[in-house]
Amino acid sequence: MRLITARLMGGIAALTLAAPAFAEGEITIALNEELEVVEPCMTSQSNIGRVIQQNISETLTELDPTNGQLKPRLAETWEAVDGDTWRFKLRGGVTFSDGTALDGADIKHSMERTVSEALTCEIGAKFFGGMKITVDVVDDATVDITSDPAQPILPLLMSTLTIVPAETPMEFVKNPIGTGPYILAEWNAGQNIILTAREGYWGDAPAVTKATYVFRSDDAVRAAMVGAGEADIVPLINQNDATNAATDFSYPNSETTYLRVDNTVAPLNDIRVRKAMNLAVDRDAFLGTLIPADAIKAVAMVVPSALGSNPDLKPWAFDPEQAKALVAEAKAAGVPVETEIEMVCRIGNFPNVVEVCEALQQMFADVGLNVKLNMMEVAEWVQVYSKPFAEDRGPRMVMAMHDNNRGDPVFSMFFKYACEGLQSGLCDADLDKMIADATAATGDARAAAWSPVFKKIHEDLVADVFLFHMVGFSRVSEKLDFVPTIATNSELQLSQIKFK
Amino acid sequence: MQKFLTRRAAASVVSLLILIVLVFFLSRLTGDPTQLYLPVDASLEARENFRNLHGLNDPLLVQFGHYVLDLFTLDFGDSIRKSRPALEVVLEAFKWTLWLALITMVLVAAAAIVFGALAAFRVGGVFDRVATFFSLIGASAPDFWIAIVAIVLFSVNLGWLPTSGTGTVWHWVLPITVLFIRPFGLILQVVRGSMITALSSAYVKTARAKGVKPRPVIFVHALRNGMLPVITVIGDQAAGILNGAVVVESIFGFPGVGKLMIDSILQRDFAVVLAAIMVTAFAIFLMNILIDIAYALLDPRIRY
Repeated sequence: MRLITARLMGGIAALTLAAPAFAEGEITIALNEELEVVEPCMTSQSNIGRVIQQNISETLTELDPTNGQLKPRLAETWEAVDGDTWRFKLRGGVTFSDGTALDGADIKHSMERTVSEALTCEIGAKFFGGMKITVDVVDDATVDITSDPAQPILPLLMSTLTIVPAETPMEFVKNPIGTGPYILAEWNAGQNIILTAREGYWGDAPAVTKATYVFRSDDAVRAAMVGAGEADIVPLINQNDATNAATDFSYPNSETTYLRVDNTVAPLNDIRVRKAMNLAVDRDAFLGTLIPADAIKAVAMVVPSALGSNPDLKPWAFDPEQAKALVAEAKAAGVPVETEIEMVCRIGNFPNVVEVCEALQQMFADVGLNVKLNMMEVAEWVQVYSKPFAEDRGPRMVMAMHDNNRGDPVFSMFFKYACEGLQSGLCDADLDKMIADATAATGDARAAAWSPVFKKIHEDLVADVFLFHMVGFSRVSEKLDFVPTIATNSELQLSQIKFK
Repeated sequence: MQKFLTRRAAASVVSLLILIVLVFFLSRLTGDPTQLYLPVDASLEARENFRNLHGLNDPLLVQFGHYVLDLFTLDFGDSIRKSRPALEVVLEAFKWTLWLALITMVLVAAAAIVFGALAAFRVGGVFDRVATFFSLIGASAPDFWIAIVAIVLFSVNLGWLPTSGTGTVWHWVLPITVLFIRPFGLILQVVRGSMITALSSAYVKTARAKGVKPRPVIFVHALRNGMLPVITVIGDQAAGILNGAVVVESIFGFPGVGKLMIDSILQRDFAVVLAAIMVTAFAIFLMNILIDIAYALLDPRIRY
């Protein structure tokens, strides 16, 4: 009897060990949402990117998050043939996980598939909208890529295009084939995704041989999983849970929060009112309280490491007295400053968003502006953030968080500030020309062309109320040698993870 | 009985048809999924292409006609978000919810019936007071709070159970425990009340006077007669879990139908919303039939 009891207890003990014992080289990553698809042309969505980008599917070029420079990946070299065309030389000896060799036809098919109307690829919609891209296969190892209109940053755009075999169908795939160091071993919908290292990868063999991705929507549970030994990396934890200096990292996540101001409707069409709003915001009071202390006060739509950032620009000082004086001056000039201004914020946009918006509303009220807060769900919010705007709209500000993780302002400035920009709250012919010139510039002239654009928006037009360049928080097991970077917001290269 | 079942089935089909019409048109009132699916920077041309691809530019009645025709072949359409048949997505999730509901309600029913009956046997006694105290706490405690406290205590601090997820039998312990607590408290109170009435009946007094021992008096004579209201409440609570234990599914990472339904509504994935509602409605219809049959088995006076 005693023996039976002992065996029973032993069996139960063995089964109840909650923390799974991982074999060497295996890690578990807890994501905040389940992947809806495992399609390479959707990797611009954060979690799909964290699983697939550079792990299963690779790109021709790769953006180095440490210095913002492009480095080779599947393309070894690239050069401009003329204003419209770039020539890419492919890396030799690269094979897909199905055993076929990488060649020019794969690049051509990947591009055509990404922009095809037969399937809605987010990469196509996000990075290749409004242009026509043609890929000419010069030989197996060389392709010429032409864009109309010309794209001086075409090599940078190629850091977004995931390469698939030419045989990939024109529909979303369930088992992506790529040239990366890993293959999709299992996809158990709702439960997990497992990647395993593959033989025959062209690069160095990674230290991580197997990665299991699990999905937990609750912030506290995700954070607790590392302590419980159930996960090794949690790319996104709530700032309130980031309390352990040994495991928790903050990193700039390339997101910028700002209030998009509709410059066309009174009283927001008056620059004095817009200046008053900027002066009314006590940005320092937010840092370390509602906004993480490591966040940076913003002066532009793109992060300071982006091309052409203007170091001379300073955040607006907190000066409520000057703000009140400007509001009074505008009122005296006949500007209807008492008009109710709607401030739209998005539920769940970032931690503490409700409190931040309530505090902003009070700050605006303190300088004499009548701001009404309207919290919206994402579906409703998108409609007021993007054009076409309602004809009969009143004065409105929309809080938004914009992500530009590619390092070039071109991915932001047209959309946010050109007359035709989908989220632009203003229309200024000079600014349009400056954006067009900067977009067409190359080399050092490109940075020099973007810099005055930022100044014009921030100081001359006072177009919006810039708030913060945000940070994200990750939790990493102490057994791993891995530090999250700005890239962690959109990808998580398993080959960069080492064991201590 | 057969006539009754046929009548109930016909009534349920009508209900399901009305539900289809209502959910189809009401879900469309929430707006266009294009804005949510594409990145905010997507061009107007890309948006138009997306609408054409998914038939969103067709008149609403044409969309409804296509939908109804497809339903004849059990085709609920494809999930826009997951690019897979909506029914496949829903059934994958529903099996988890079904198991959660089934296991939880069996345990709840067994425990609540035993403890409720014993509490009713000596009203005001120590057991009755303790059972009532804990059942009231259970019925009123917020499940998200219990879930988080349970994870911190049993998973993080003690390391006895997994925090979340699926895979082993131990992954089910915390979710089922959390789901168990509230219906247990509620059903225990119903059993207790029902049994107090039954135990004060003339036939129970007769049994006692004839020298029948307490256990058969409670569990044979009184319980069967006291079960009718209990079954109704068990059915109601089970329907609640079948409709989605959203909190538990979210916290414990259980891929159930409740979270799927909420996410689909927020993302305007209409095909999944409709399929999920149809599947859960069908399951609840089946459960109601079972409850009706249970009534007839328990009380021979009931004839359909």
